[in-house]
Amino acid sequence: MSKCRIPLGPFHPLLEEAEFFNIKVEGEKVVDIEMETGWMHRGHEKISETKTFTQSIFLVERICGICSTSHPFACVNAIEDIDNIEIPERAKYIRVLIGELERIHSHLLWVCLAGHFIGYDTLWMWAWKYREPILQLSEMITGNRNHYAMMRVGGVGRDFDNSLIPKIIPVLDMIEKKMVMLAGAANDDPVLRSRLKGVGVLTKEDAINYCANGPTARASGVDIDVRRDDPTAYEVVDVKVIVTPNGDVYDKLVVRVLEIIESCHIIKQCLKAFEKVQGPIINKVKEISPGEGIGRYEAPRGEVFHYIRSDGSNRPLRHKVRAPSFSNIPTYKASCVGIPLADALITLASVDPCYCCTERSIKAFDINGKKIEHNLLHLSRKKTERLQRELIPKEKSLIDGIFDLSLSR
Amino acid sequence: MKEKEQIFFEKFKDKFTKIIKKKKRNYFNVKNKDLIEIADYLFNTMKCRLSICTATEVYDGLEVLYHFTDDTTGTYYNPRVKTSLKNPEINSITPIIEGANWIEREMYDLFGIKFKGHQDLKKLLTINSPEFSEDDHPMRFKRNQKVKVKSQK
Repeated sequence: MSKCRIPLGPFHPLLEEAEFFNIKVEGEKVVDIEMETGWMHRGHEKISETKTFTQSIFLVERICGICSTSHPFACVNAIEDIDNIEIPERAKYIRVLIGELERIHSHLLWVCLAGHFIGYDTLWMWAWKYREPILQLSEMITGNRNHYAMMRVGGVGRDFDNSLIPKIIPVLDMIEKKMVMLAGAANDDPVLRSRLKGVGVLTKEDAINYCANGPTARASGVDIDVRRDDPTAYEVVDVKVIVTPNGDVYDKLVVRVLEIIESCHIIKQCLKAFEKVQGPIINKVKEISPGEGIGRYEAPRGEVFHYIRSDGSNRPLRHKVRAPSFSNIPTYKASCVGIPLADALITLASVDPCYCCTERSIKAFDINGKKIEHNLLHLSRKKTERLQRELIPKEKSLIDGIFDLSLSR
Repeated sequence: MKEKEQIFFEKFKDKFTKIIKKKKRNYFNVKNKDLIEIADYLFNTMKCRLSICTATEVYDGLEVLYHFTDDTTGTYYNPRVKTSLKNPEINSITPIIEGANWIEREMYDLFGIKFKGHQDLKKLLTINSPEFSEDDHPMRFKRNQKVKVKSQK
């Protein structure tokens, strides 16, 4: 069997940071995978040392475009951890509301891209359609569709308008209903099941050994969630942690779909509380004393970690940022080896690194540098088509006959 | 749950100095030679997860803070290891914890700390950057800065 090397990246839609995957295949099977990073290093940690604490919050908001409130959330947690600053109760509910709205639209984004990669563009269109109302809700509540700029040290920057509650509840009901429908469709469709079930398994031991977190770890049966384990605002609501045992791509889909429904429940708890809980939304913080603080938050992709050391001045001495993908990306090494190349794409995508554009830089070369194969997306879609042919025997209906007739002309 | 924490601090009480205890956050200094034993106990016996490590340059050297989190209680255990500015070297914990691989490579890249026992110690973030050479570590205060002169047309 001839071996060949497939370069994937460095500028590739699958990857949050531009990264380079060197996939070695033997026939159809992936035998080894290596990674290189470093094309997107922007030096946020160094820049943050020259900014004040308040400016740092807006700086870290620009790290990620999809889960943009997770970094400021963890950053203010870290600053508040230095002095054990308490925040008002209403501010806690507002923080939770923003965080959960973001989780819904981020998970919907993953669902639609997963559909796109396996050739189910209908799923993509559907999920995109349901994501739009959530972004509009975000705009109504915070003034922005993304980059909400709500977090401040000691509270939030903008109050929630109680008159918006009747507008929000129907949207949440709709999302919940559609997610139940989506879960049913994933369960019923034999093609979707066989494309996702048992593909790219990350075992529990590997998930623990690679220090994976977020939905990637929860789909492998590791019961961790920062919202429940170390809550800083989430103690005011009930959070149900969703854990599934198998660790394949199907379980990762299930975890994310169920988390969307759970997020709807959490938002409804917040909306109920807004009517009762009034009062201030921010505790004024005059200065930060010398010391060090750790803040974390469960972003849609996993645990965001911020460490801030202060020397008593108005800017951090050291600001460490760790995004969840930094821990989750190396798990590719455990989950991708030994699977067919057509499944590699969805497995690489299953830990949910951010995607931007599509399939531009995937080309397969043999050892002499000659282009030999179509791209991974094409391979992945071809497999779905083949399964469709095999699993669903075509019974020609009347309407198909008309279609064939028009083609033959 | 409290017992686990107490057993840990009693077991290694000779090896810890300068313990700072805050609510759900424990910081303590350890020596380089004890690091592997403590990391092994935290990871394999107490089932903690390694979140990340933070390297910092302070006036008398470099220090690395390991952030181990116990997810059953939400408590952080942060062993701090100090090393010299001139020849920074710390024992690697990658043989015990596979997840520390990239973390140690990142610290080597940004601070130039050499991890003894790491199988594949190379740069992670600035590996392909033309701006930084192999000995150039961007987060150090006094680094060998290359002066780039733009050719004027």
